[in-house]
Parts: sequence; structure tokens; C-alpha cells
Amino acid sequence: MSSSSASDTSSSETVGAGLRGARVTSTQLTRRFGKYLAVDHIDLDIQPGETLGLLGANGAGKTTFIRLVTGYLLPTSGELSIDGFSPVSQPQEVHRRLGYAAETSRVYPELPVESFLRFIGGSRGMRGHELKDAVLRVMARFELEEVFRRPMGHLSKGYQQRVSLAQAFLTDPPLLIVDEPTSGLDPYQQAEVRDVLEQAKGERTILLCTHDLSEARALATRVAILRRGKLVALGPTDEVLGDGDSLRLFHEEDIEDDIEEPSAEGSA
Amino acid sequence: MTALLALLRKELSILLRSPVTYLTLTFVGTVTALLFFDYLRHYNQLLFLYTSNSMGSFELGTIPEYINLSDQVFVPLLEQLALTFIAVIPLVTMRSFAEERARGTDELLLTTELTPEKIVIAKFLTAYVFVSLVLFTSILYPAASMLRTGIGLQHLLSVYLGLWVLGIGLASIGLACSAFANNQLIAAISAYAIALIIFDLSWVQTFASESVGYALIAMSLHPHFVDFAEGLIIAQHLAYFVGLAAVCAALSRLSLDLIRVK
Repeated sequence: MSSSSASDTSSSETVGAGLRGARVTSTQLTRRFGKYLAVDHIDLDIQPGETLGLLGANGAGKTTFIRLVTGYLLPTSGELSIDGFSPVSQPQEVHRRLGYAAETSRVYPELPVESFLRFIGGSRGMRGHELKDAVLRVMARFELEEVFRRPMGHLSKGYQQRVSLAQAFLTDPPLLIVDEPTSGLDPYQQAEVRDVLEQAKGERTILLCTHDLSEARALATRVAILRRGKLVALGPTDEVLGDGDSLRLFHEEDIEDDIEEPSAEGSA
Repeated sequence: MTALLALLRKELSILLRSPVTYLTLTFVGTVTALLFFDYLRHYNQLLFLYTSNSMGSFELGTIPEYINLSDQVFVPLLEQLALTFIAVIPLVTMRSFAEERARGTDELLLTTELTPEKIVIAKFLTAYVFVSLVLFTSILYPAASMLRTGIGLQHLLSVYLGLWVLGIGLASIGLACSAFANNQLIAAISAYAIALIIFDLSWVQTFASESVGYALIAMSLHPHFVDFAEGLIIAQHLAYFVGLAAVCAALSRLSLDLIRVK
């Protein structure tokens, strides 16, 4: 397992070998809920264009970490930056760079698909032809043309998940965060969603939160494993998940030997 | 501005797609018509009694000063409509923030370019549009009557301005309750409780000191809208409702910050 690399580049829409994306850096990031430590001093550096799989059992702190990155929650301590902008003090700058598909589809059942996508586009500052073109583009990409006039409450879970992903892609954001994108979908729908994410790889930074190891193997270039809020492993997907005994990282009590501290050396 | 307009459009779209909106409008329209015609019938009966001298103690054709359209119809109508507003407005405002939280769509909103201020503004403006729709459904008969009886447009505007600012105040209370509640039922019940408690606090004056009593009356809704029914538009009353809306908006804004640190 190699550790994450760090560079001096703080703002990077286009970086290195044609990679496009945002850089996400967390330093000693901590979040408490009362006495419960949900995220425990996490150091992580996600490089532009990288697809990082954030793995862990239920309650490991994955969603809390994502909510800290999106600025929905404030950290108890530690630092976090997205392309040099802090979700705490500059949330608007962070949100401008962000596409977020949450764990369960966050939709308005009354609204037709097209109205919902137009609303999300508008709330991200798009209007006129730009908005219209973006909505048509994501509807084509996620095959939503058949249902674009239907209220979202009438859609299957698979379609709702597609709509949720479509809204995250609307602004073609440099940072895409997807939380359990295939949760609750049938195998065919899971394959469809994975295809979409596969196509998006390299175009942007993707933070993929999942507890599905096969999904992480298929999509992530690196994986980080959280347990009880701690980062217990970080490295290239093949190295972390390749030994066939990766499940022990999720549950083993004595984790000290497994901890791979992120350092400023090595490459992503 | 684009983001605010997009949210406003979405909020109005959801409001106008909700059956609760139309049920509420129908209910208010019906209640207004029934109350209005009942008060009007009663007023006509009194007029008939006095003008026919059947009351005995008055000269023929003499009508006491208090038998007028304003005191016999519009003041009681306004007071009944105020209670109706307390009953129906929280039914719509309870959804606003609490439903976003229950569905998880608040997370979606708070990760777009919408600032918490814009979210609060859009939610409040939508509720005010609803209040305006409620007033519109209740204005037909009183308006026709007032204009035909010569009471005049100014008086009509005053009555409806009073109802509108009262509706604004109640909607603001409902929205603030919704902003702090995790489910709609709690939002509605707390809005009812607060609105009923502060509707008229003058009874506390009996037990409290003069200054406390004065302060409580100043906080009450009732003394601030009743003058509107008399055709009086008083800046102090308008300021009260604007202040109430501002305090509720600030509290709602605070609730969005509390989500981040909870």
C-alpha cells in the first residue's frame, strides 16, 4: 500500500497529464457528535482526476466524512480544503466545484424529472441555453428521456438513483461525490450506474463512498478504509483489497499494525 | 439571483401541486362566505329592527352608532378569519423546512450555490404568496359588499392589509417552527401553540405588573390587527408584523446553521 501524495498545487481544474478535477485535502479532520467520535483525525489527500474509494462498514464515518467535505457539517477540529477553499469559511466556492449524489436519492416526489433538474441547474447558477443544454445532456447520458415528465415519486428506485446522479453531473463539476450509488439497486441497474461512473473516471476527481468491495475494485484507483472514524488503510486499490483478506480491515479489533499513515511521499 | 429564482420557482411549483393548498383555499373561501353572510344577515336584522322602531326605545329611523357595517360585520369577520388563519396556515407552513429535513433534500439544497439566506427568503416568500392566495379566496364577498355599500376602497384595503399582515405573521411563526422541527406534526403543533398563546396576552395583565402587562400586550397579535378592521392603518402595527417576520426569518436562518454544528 502506498500513501497519498501531496503537491503544492492547490487549485487544479486541469492538472498533470490532462487530468481534470479538484484536489481535496484533509488534515487531522475530526468530527464529534456529543461524545461519539464519528471522524477521528483523518489525514487524506485526494489528487485531481483520482477516483478514491472510501470504504468501511456501516457507521464507520464515511457519510460524515463526505458531509464534512460538502460543508453540510462543520468539523470539530482539523482542516479541510477543496482546491484551496475551505467548506467552513468558503462554502459557496466549494459548492461551485461540487456534484453530490447522496446515499438515498434526495428527490422531490411532486416534481417531474425535468423540473427537478432545471431547479438543480438553476440553484447552481445556470440559466437560459446553458441550463437547457445541460439538462438535455444529462437526460441523454442517464437515459431519462422516457420519464422526464413524470413526477419523481412515481419512478422506480433505479430511476430515482439515475436522477440523483444526473443532477450531480449537471454542472460537469471537477469534484464528484457519490455516496453508495448502487445501494438498493438490482444487478442490472448496478451495472448501469457503474458504467456511468467508469466513464466519468479521469474526467474529474471522484470520491466514491461504498461498502461494496467489488464496486471499489472496479472503479477506484485508490481506496481509503475507515473504521470507527479512523483511517485504517490507504493505498492503491489492488494493494489494499488485493490480498483476499481485506474484510479484516473492516472489523478487526487490533488495527494498529494495519494503519498506513498518509504521508507527503509516494504517488497516487 | 438565478439560484434564488430557481428555488422560488421550485417552492411555488410544489405549493401549487399540493392538494393541501387547494383544500385550504377551499376551506377558507367557504368559511369566509358563511361567516360573512351570517354577520351580514345579523346586521340586516338589526337594521330592520331599528328602522322599524320595534326596539321601542329609539325614535323611528334612528340607528345607534354601533350598528354599522364595520362594527357588526367587518370587525367580527376579521377576528373570526384571524382564528381561521391560525387553524390553516400552519398546515401549509409545517412542510416547508421540516419536510426538506425528513426527505434529506436539505442536504441537497445546502450543497448547491444557494446560501442559507436565499433558502430562508425563498421559503418565506412562498409562504407569503400562499397567504395572498388565501386572502384572494376570501375577498370576493366582502369586497363586493363594501364597495356597494359605500364604505369604500380605502376601508377595504385597510381590512385586507390587516388580514394580510396577520397572515404574514402567522406564516412566519409557522416557518420558524418548521425550521426547528424534525417532523411536520411537531412543526404544526408548536406553531398552533405559539400563535394561540401570543394571540391575545391581555389576560396576563391581571396578574402581572403594569410594565410586564404592557409589554405582553405589545407582543400580542390581536391588538395589532384589530385597528385595521376599523379602517385605520397604523405604522406601529405594520412595524410589529414586519418585526415578527424578521425575527422568525432570523431564527430560521439560525436553524440552518445549527444543522452544521449539531
